[in-house]
Amino acid sequence: MKWARKIHKWASLIVSLQFLIWLGTGLYFNLMDHHKAAGYTYKAEHSPAPAWHELSLLEPADVLAQHEASATLTLISLANKPYYLLNHQRGLYAHFANLYSLIDATNGQAITVDAEFARVLAQTSYSGPGAVASTTLMQPPIADFLKQQNPLWQVNFADEINTSVYIEAQSGRLVGHSDEHKRLADFFLKLHFMDYANTGSFNNVLMMFFAIAALGLCGSGLIWTIVLARRGFVRRSPG
Amino acid sequence: MMAITQIRKTSRKYHKWLMTLLALQFVVWSVTGTYMVFFDIHYIHGDTLVNNRQDKIDPQQLTYPLHNVLQRYPKAKDISLGLYLEQVVYRFSLGPDNIMLDARTGQRIAALSRQQAAVAAKFYYAGNGEVASIELLTEHAPFELNPKALPAWRVNFTDLGDPAIYVSAETGLLVAKRHNFWRLFDWMFRFHVMDHNDGKDIDNLLLFLCSVLGLISTMFGLVLLYFSLSRPKRALRAKP
Repeated sequence: MKWARKIHKWASLIVSLQFLIWLGTGLYFNLMDHHKAAGYTYKAEHSPAPAWHELSLLEPADVLAQHEASATLTLISLANKPYYLLNHQRGLYAHFANLYSLIDATNGQAITVDAEFARVLAQTSYSGPGAVASTTLMQPPIADFLKQQNPLWQVNFADEINTSVYIEAQSGRLVGHSDEHKRLADFFLKLHFMDYANTGSFNNVLMMFFAIAALGLCGSGLIWTIVLARRGFVRRSPG
Repeated sequence: MMAITQIRKTSRKYHKWLMTLLALQFVVWSVTGTYMVFFDIHYIHGDTLVNNRQDKIDPQQLTYPLHNVLQRYPKAKDISLGLYLEQVVYRFSLGPDNIMLDARTGQRIAALSRQQAAVAAKFYYAGNGEVASIELLTEHAPFELNPKALPAWRVNFTDLGDPAIYVSAETGLLVAKRHNFWRLFDWMFRFHVMDHNDGKDIDNLLLFLCSVLGLISTMFGLVLLYFSLSRPKRALRAKP
C-alpha cells in the first residue's frame, strides 16, 4: 500500500497536467461536430461521373506504350474532362508516396496540374461563399494534412473559416478541405497524442513515457481504491 | 488555516469517491492508450503483411480496346486497367457489381474460385506461412472487413497473429489485411472511447459522463498533489 501511494504521488507529478489535457481534449472529441471537424463545412457534392461511352477516348494501349511503365491506368474525370491517371510507383495507400502521370484522355497530352488547374479543381469541390485568395504548391509535411506524403496544391478561399482545399499536384486528386473547425480539432488531437513534433502520429517517445506514467498512476490508484474499499471506507486514511 | 484544511479534506473526499466510481475506466484508458501508442500504427494496419508488388502492365497484352468495353457496358463506372496476378485486366463497376475482363480477349473473368483465391492471397502476402483456411464471405462481413468489399475470400495464414488476407471475389484485388494486433487495437479503441459496440460513436453519453467526472476528479487530485508536495516543508516548520 505504501509503495502504491508513492507511485501515485510521483506518477501524478509527471502526468497530472497531461491528464487534464487528455480528459479535456477527449471531452472535446466527444462533443464536437464531426462533420465540421472533418473539414466538410464547404464541401460540395461529388459531381456524377460522365457517360464515358459518349466520349471519344484514346485507346489505353497507345497511351501506356508512350509512357513509363505503369502498374495501373485509371480513367478519371477532373472538372468534367476525362483523363488517364497512370501509376508508375504505387504506394500502399494514396497518401503514401506515389508516382503518377496525368494524361488528357482525348489527345494524349501529359498534364501538369498548375496553379490555374488546381484552382479550378478546388472550386468544383467548394460550396462556400469565398473567392480564391491564394494558391500555393506545398511539399510534405503539410500542417493541415500531415499524413500526406505527396506534394499538394493549397487553394485558400476567403471565407469566415479560412477554408483551404488541397489538390494532389501529380494526380489532381482532391485530398480534402481544411478550415478553422478542422484545425481546432487537429490541434486538440495533437495535444491528445502529445505530438508536439508534428509527426501526425501518436507513436512518439514522449507519449510512450507518459503512457507508462499514466499506467503507474491509474494502477496504483486502483490498488489504493481496492484497499480503501476493503477497509469499507471506515478508517480514515492518515494525513 | 481552517480553510486550507477544509479544501484538503473536501478534495480528498471527492477524489476518493469519484475515483471509486471511475477507477476501472481510468485503468482501461491507460492500458488501452499504452497499447495503442506502443505499437507502430503502420504495423497495426498490417502494412508489413503485404508486399505491395510493383508489376507493370505490358501494353502488348492489351489487345481488347476500351472502346469495345464501353460499347458493351455503357454504364460502366470506376474503370481501370491493372493486373490480376500476371494477367492484364479491365476492372469496372456496373451498378452493385464489379466486373473483370481479360484485356487481351475481352472475355469476362468469373468470380474467383477457392483455389484462385488462395493463389491470389499468396501473391499479395509477404509472410512465409502456409494457408490455414479459406472462407467465402458473401452476405455478412466480419467486424474487420468493410461490408462494401463483399463478396470476398478470407484466406487465413499460419503465422504470428493469425493474419488474414481478404481478396475480392469479383476483382481479385486485395481488399483488407488483418492480424491479431489490429483486432486487439480495434477492441482497445472501442474501450478507450467507451463505445462498446463498434467504436464509431465517440459522441456517446457514457464517455461524456466519465470525461466530465474524470476532469473534476483529476482537478481534486491536483489539489491533493499540491498539498502532498508542500507537506514536508510545513512539517519541518512545525517542529519545535
